Amino acid sequence: MSVNSQHSPPHSAFDLNQTIDHIAHWLPSQGPLKDFIHHNTLHAVQDRPFHDGVAMAAQVYGANSYLPLSDYQQRFREGRITQQALDWAITQTHCDAATEQALRAELFELDYHSHYPPQSLAHHGLRSAWLNRLAIDLNALVHPVMFRLLSNFLDQGISRWALPKLGESFWDCVLRLVHNSLLPLYPFHRRRVRELLSAGPEHVIVQCLDAIVGDEGLYGQYLLELLLAHPGWSGMVRVIETQPQTLLAPRDITLKQLLAVELACELAFIDKLRGTRFIKIAQLPDLASIALLEGDAVKPRVPLKMRVWHEAMEWSLYCELLVGLRSQPKPSSQTTASPTTPSPTVQALFCIDDRECSVRRYLEELDSQIETFGTPGFFGIDFLYQGLEDAYPVAQCPAVVKPKHLILESTTQPRPDKKIGGETLSTLHFSSHSMFRGWLYTQTLGLAYALRLGWSVLRPGGQLPGIQSLSEIEAHGHLHLLRENDEPNEDGYLLGFSLPEMADRVEGVLRNIGLIEQFAPLIMVVAHGSSSVNNPHFAAYDCGACAGKPGAPNARAFAWMANHPPVREILRERGIVIPDGSRFVPALHNTSRDDIRYFDLNDLDKSSRSALHAFQHTMHHALQLNARERCRWFELGPKSPDNQDAHNHVIARASSIFEPRPELNHSNNLYCVVGRRSLTRHLFMDRRTFLQSYDPQGDNDGSILLKVLSAVIPVCGGINLEYLFSRIDNSVYGAGTKLPHNVIGLLGVANGVEGDLRTGLPAQMIEVHEPARLLMVVEQTTAIVDRAIAQLGSLREWLDNEWIRFVVCDPMTRALFLYGRDKWQSVEAVSVNPPQAKRSETILVGQSRTIAVHAVERR
Amino acid sequence: MNVLLLACVLLPLLGFVLILCSPDNEHRIAAISLWITRLKGVAVLGLLAGWAIGGFANYEYQWLMLYQHDNYQFPLLFFLDKVGAAYLFVVWAIFSAIVKYCRVYLHREPGYKRFFKTIFGFVFGLNLIVLAGSIDMLFAGWEIVGISSFLLIAFYRQRPQPIRNALRAYTIYRFCDVGLLIGTWMSHMLFHESQHFSELLTLFDHHNLPPAGYAALAIMSWLIILAASGKSAQFPFCFWLPRAMEGPTPSSAIFYGALSIHLGVFLLLRTLPIWSYHYLPRLIVLSIGALTVLIASLSEKTQSNIKGQVAYASITQVGLMFIELALGLESLVLLHFMGNAFLRCYQLLVSPSIVAHLLRVEGNVDGDFYINSEDKLSFLPVSIRQSVPEVLQNTLYVFALQEGHLELLVRTLLWNPLKTLGKQFNALSLWIKWLAALALLTIIAIAASDVSGMAKIYLSMPVSLAMAVVSLSAFSNKHSPYQVWHSVTLSSLLAGVAVWMMAPDASFDVLLFFSGILPSWALGVVAMAVLLRNDNFAASPFVFRAFAQTRPGWSLALLLSFLGLIGFPITPAFLGEDLLLSHASSQHPWFALSITISFVINGIAAARMYLRLCMGQPVELRSSGD
Repeated sequence: MSVNSQHSPPHSAFDLNQTIDHIAHWLPSQGPLKDFIHHNTLHAVQDRPFHDGVAMAAQVYGANSYLPLSDYQQRFREGRITQQALDWAITQTHCDAATEQALRAELFELDYHSHYPPQSLAHHGLRSAWLNRLAIDLNALVHPVMFRLLSNFLDQGISRWALPKLGESFWDCVLRLVHNSLLPLYPFHRRRVRELLSAGPEHVIVQCLDAIVGDEGLYGQYLLELLLAHPGWSGMVRVIETQPQTLLAPRDITLKQLLAVELACELAFIDKLRGTRFIKIAQLPDLASIALLEGDAVKPRVPLKMRVWHEAMEWSLYCELLVGLRSQPKPSSQTTASPTTPSPTVQALFCIDDRECSVRRYLEELDSQIETFGTPGFFGIDFLYQGLEDAYPVAQCPAVVKPKHLILESTTQPRPDKKIGGETLSTLHFSSHSMFRGWLYTQTLGLAYALRLGWSVLRPGGQLPGIQSLSEIEAHGHLHLLRENDEPNEDGYLLGFSLPEMADRVEGVLRNIGLIEQFAPLIMVVAHGSSSVNNPHFAAYDCGACAGKPGAPNARAFAWMANHPPVREILRERGIVIPDGSRFVPALHNTSRDDIRYFDLNDLDKSSRSALHAFQHTMHHALQLNARERCRWFELGPKSPDNQDAHNHVIARASSIFEPRPELNHSNNLYCVVGRRSLTRHLFMDRRTFLQSYDPQGDNDGSILLKVLSAVIPVCGGINLEYLFSRIDNSVYGAGTKLPHNVIGLLGVANGVEGDLRTGLPAQMIEVHEPARLLMVVEQTTAIVDRAIAQLGSLREWLDNEWIRFVVCDPMTRALFLYGRDKWQSVEAVSVNPPQAKRSETILVGQSRTIAVHAVERR
Repeated sequence: MNVLLLACVLLPLLGFVLILCSPDNEHRIAAISLWITRLKGVAVLGLLAGWAIGGFANYEYQWLMLYQHDNYQFPLLFFLDKVGAAYLFVVWAIFSAIVKYCRVYLHREPGYKRFFKTIFGFVFGLNLIVLAGSIDMLFAGWEIVGISSFLLIAFYRQRPQPIRNALRAYTIYRFCDVGLLIGTWMSHMLFHESQHFSELLTLFDHHNLPPAGYAALAIMSWLIILAASGKSAQFPFCFWLPRAMEGPTPSSAIFYGALSIHLGVFLLLRTLPIWSYHYLPRLIVLSIGALTVLIASLSEKTQSNIKGQVAYASITQVGLMFIELALGLESLVLLHFMGNAFLRCYQLLVSPSIVAHLLRVEGNVDGDFYINSEDKLSFLPVSIRQSVPEVLQNTLYVFALQEGHLELLVRTLLWNPLKTLGKQFNALSLWIKWLAALALLTIIAIAASDVSGMAKIYLSMPVSLAMAVVSLSAFSNKHSPYQVWHSVTLSSLLAGVAVWMMAPDASFDVLLFFSGILPSWALGVVAMAVLLRNDNFAASPFVFRAFAQTRPGWSLALLLSFLGLIGFPITPAFLGEDLLLSHASSQHPWFALSITISFVINGIAAARMYLRLCMGQPVELRSSGD
């Protein structure tokens, strides 16, 4: 294809915009640090079956696709991969008998090369062959120049002098520095390039490609390889181009401008080192041997052996849950028993987050009259929130939802005047950079930092002074929830919600989770957040359903709406009767420190107050047990069985400047159960399960299930896939180890001063993660699920291509069916019962790896 | 007191050895490091207490004589005064904090052992410098610090960028070592027996004639200033420091934030009597400081990453220290040093929290965060923004953005000429090279056949010229690791031969030198032969081969060979290097320059090749049938 097009006239077949759109989908799509939205790292290939997609991505990015072979073999020896699962995985490949024979023999051979990534476009493509031929380390020359320009242009507040003028585009900005400065901007000062630049970005790109590549058929691949040499910056530019609102200080930049500047920079360096006569890519003698993007470079080569091992590992893990679910008593026996169980005294709504899985278990174990529910932690309330202390509003809802409402917090208390005294002493070190101020400070106060350093290192536990995290801000204000007029503000947002809108949202959540009758006197709405210090990825620790924010504003808004009498009136008309004695109380669970903060307690009456006290007491105890359970993962954690020790340890962890793992977040997330709590209430699931409440009985047409799945699939699936790929190849899909990270322009982190931005999750977040795809179990009949899936739209891609595995558990018979693109496959999982235990604490003793699902004794 | 002093120096070495011998067990390594820092704390505080009780008197201690030959001595000599005391304390305090910090911070990091090993090596070198009693001892420490910096910058050896930056820092270190090497030799020449720092202090007390000519003193001062400004990232070497922030954050904090960067200041404090004798060196120090302050504080304004910003802030402060030194404010410098060390160390350690800080604290409505005020978008005060032409604003920004063009300056002035020269030599046809080799052999044979001493000296000139040429050829050779290794060795051998021709009585010292070089060369060649067995290096010379990961044993052998070749203080070659210098140049000063430059260039060439071979990320080889 390439040879023929060589003779075609310039500017004909090559469509720049189309090419850019075509290659841009290979770029990572992670936004700036302030938000963190978990998404499928390999979204570029999610239209393909999982294994094919992963293999394609590996051949583009140069990454691993699976764990090292020896890891799987080790797991097999330890019994975490069963022989049955291995057999199951082999049958899934549908290979003939001879191949199967060979495969079985090959599985247990040692192979030291299978953990190196394959040759790839990014590292072994046209561009690297050409550069090797030219003997120029072009990346080493061009990248520092480009990264400096990009980071200074996009910087959100670190540098003292901003580069762009108001509203100036990247291209104009570079042009200004090149053409209108007395000092030359290297390497753009070369005459050839200076003259070229005046022609505008599109012309520059075509000219440079003509000089470098010389064959229009290869332009696209060259541009892609160019961008993949620094995927972090390319991806960031693309994100900002397509979603300008992700930046606080808006910047005008496009991938086209980036490519134009970078190509001009390349040409300048080549011009300097090799003159105008150098070999073009189209003239490379070994061109035929290089894999092409349009050819077989991305034809997936799936290593069968690794695929079988990986599926066997996943199936072993899936069976652990499926066996547990099947062993649960059938609901027919339960309904007869229900009159004897007293109605709950407290109902608590938690986020579906897997970190809340254990807290809910402990709460219910400690007090069987507490009933818990799970729902995405934005509690159905999508809005932009601007707290008292915030300079800008932030979106408090999943990334797929575009909020239309803005909520402001106000206070009645007078605020302390921050300007007095200027900078406080404790944050001085952030500003003492400049020459004279720095001189003064180092001379006078520098020695004090010896004490400060000593204190921070020897006695962690206090906060890093001066850095409040949002989740700990005093709840002294009121949320302006009720809209006073329908006039949108200058940014087009409505200030607050109308009463019907509030009722819609409250009703939506209550119906989704199946809480429409039997309301307890006290209903807790528990959001979650996480506090950590010295951690640029802090947003990835907060609530994923709130786009990486603590969920406190949502919990407060939900409780306020559900308590507001006019809203309850509307709800009553719609058939949901909340008794006057029931009160909703918002709270925030801090998942790293394992403590809880209650909000808006002023308007509680006496009886709910006493119920709250009882709940607080139980919650305190549950959090201590939870801290104990988390500590089993921390090698340096306390070894004593004392819960208080464990709690102190997690608090110290969350507040010491030298702790790169304040918590392990969603590590080991694996299951997602959508169904009644009765299905999972007596299972120990090792903090691995996203729990969404859903009542199969009230949903005859699957419309509720559709709503539930539309929120659960992207949030849980995104978290799971991001953890999966960051774990499988941390150096390519993940951000690598945190230790050398350097914060660049508040946009992202990089290794060192002139490195590329790192996307994905850092090693410290994922190192203990077992990389398996999410298993989603829905308690419903296949017929109704089919109706819901049919309307899922684009989310269906993940199910059809097996990026998440989907099982349906029949609410009456507990029969299990595995979803396939064409049909439901009955799961004849191993017939043995899950291991039994008396209490969850006894399961944990001495365990430092993941634990299989246990059945816990009923009480 | 002597015991305590020795303990201060040797405890980190003990820690290094213990960690080297211990299995790769995090808990044990942590326990060792913790106990060593505690013991060292006892030793340091005891020593300082003893010194204080003794009335803060300067204290010198000679442990033993390492080597003595004719009138050349290499004693293990230690010296403590108020400068040393301040540095000793700060080094211990920061080191202890860092060890405690890293215990948790590096938890589960692959390379835990490597990190602690290197950091202990670094602190050993640092203590050697701080307590060195003579300039020779100081140089030994200087080299150790240089190599451990190099290894820690390249700590993440899978990625090309840390490797490049490690080499960048190392070349600057190495270049500035010229200053210290020649300085060492000149101190031998000028002060003979009295090169002890203790005597140096009193040497200039008599206001009669200086012990050496003004010219010689001036040259020596310049060399020392060169060495100091390289290590402290002063003008014109500012650019390497921010780029050296590639290792784990605490290592950046201890090296480039706190300790390593102040070594130049230490060197200047130590050698104050030499260079402060005349106003010209003072003026040089003053202008280096002033230029650095100007450039670094401007560059700091446009750093959009937090570590770079702290690095330039630190450079600025060290520049101010240089100014203070030139003005004779030594006590202020010490205070300034301590403050800066602790502050920058802390700033780097908490640098990841800048995001939370800016978004959540300064992000407050009435905070200082610039997105709230359009004024800050432009960096000039509002009052003059209208009157300054835009071209000047752009110029200022470009100047700051490119960090004063210093890297370009250094590259154009220093490396490019050497590279071009070397390239031209490499391009010569083979028979010219053989002819030259033949001529050299003839010359050496003539010299061996006992001609007059005078003739030998003239004959040694072409030999030393050949030495320099061979070094340059190694420097610009990127295509064959063997050739680089051979050239480096050959250049060292030629240096030895030249010295022997000039001073026949030095034959024993020359042999001592060879006894370090030759085994290193042999080890290196064997290691390469094993590593590159199935590899066509010249076909893709720019690919990092990643042998440290795939073949750790042999790549360690290559590292040892590399260290031996460049005269690291683990083989007799280090002593030999010093001896050669002192022998040859005692009569022929011109020779000192060429031999030093050769050594320096050899080091860079060998380091570059070592990195190409051992660092990087391994890749699966696609089988041909696939």
